[in-house]
Amino acid sequence: MSSKDLVLESASDRTVRFERDALVFTNQLYAAALRYTKNPEDARDLVQDTYLKAFSSFHQFEEGTNLRAWLYRVLTTTFINTYRKGQRQPQIAHNELEEWQVAEAQSHTSDQGKSAEQEALENLPDSDIKRALHEIPEDFRIVVYLADVEGFSYKEIAEIVGAPAGTVMSRLHRGRKQLREKLASYAESLGYSTNAPSKKGGRE
Amino acid sequence: MSFIEIQCGDVLSSVIFIIEGELEQIPQAKAIESHLTTCTPCAAEIEHERLMHQMLQHVLQRSCDEKAPEDLHQSIHRQLRAQMAGGASTEVVTSFSMTEISIEIDEFGNVEHREIQIEQTHIQHFIDEED
Repeated sequence: MSSKDLVLESASDRTVRFERDALVFTNQLYAAALRYTKNPEDARDLVQDTYLKAFSSFHQFEEGTNLRAWLYRVLTTTFINTYRKGQRQPQIAHNELEEWQVAEAQSHTSDQGKSAEQEALENLPDSDIKRALHEIPEDFRIVVYLADVEGFSYKEIAEIVGAPAGTVMSRLHRGRKQLREKLASYAESLGYSTNAPSKKGGRE
Repeated sequence: MSFIEIQCGDVLSSVIFIIEGELEQIPQAKAIESHLTTCTPCAAEIEHERLMHQMLQHVLQRSCDEKAPEDLHQSIHRQLRAQMAGGASTEVVTSFSMTEISIEIDEFGNVEHREIQIEQTHIQHFIDEED
């Protein structure tokens, strides 16, 4: 047996290994694809494309590194390159991303506002949570999803979305903030009185 | 207000770094930390932000747990097998080649020489249809 035999894996062995290690994430990737594409048909196609692409470059994947993060990278890149083109999506202006820290005057929230926001969030139905997520800009939605649903660190997210860590941090901050504003406004329409963290008049 | 030049607004606009446990990424980290030990409203605000973040994570995780349809799992498996079968290792190439040579000499002694070559190549892919 030559050393080549030890290194080379047959196509069928590689397929078995891929199926064993990668296919356990199908449900997770599908849930993410639903949030990315906002509809079940595109989500299905996106997950299929993701697996086929991941499989064809699986020989480049280093065993022992984070397979889940790698699959999310393939998913996110495929979505951005393929599915997003067909959708009309306002892109975030560059300066908006960089100047986020000075973007707004920060002040303290009232105790009343705090507890009202907590109560509202606890009582909103899942459909409203998903609606709010779908309504925030795509670049924000992706990072919030990766951080808060999938639990990736912002450094991992930077790798997954192919953006600098600072940009990820900024999108995360703005995305969460917009999400909370949306949720607060839904809660208000359901009769909860929240005064935080709405855009105007919410802060004292 | 301590003598260190930092305002409540500066602390609150760095909340994302505090929540993410990445305060050391920003230059004012030390000043922010010491501000938080003395400014009760800021400390309460950060606590609230931390709690809201936990709740947001909780509701997001609860809402986003859709399962992939059963036929999607099967379809991925089938497509992977088909893609594997498309690789060189399961390709069978059959080549066939034949040359027919005929020589004819007519009554005047003229020699006529003819050569016909027939070639055929057949490539077959084996697709695993075990499922």
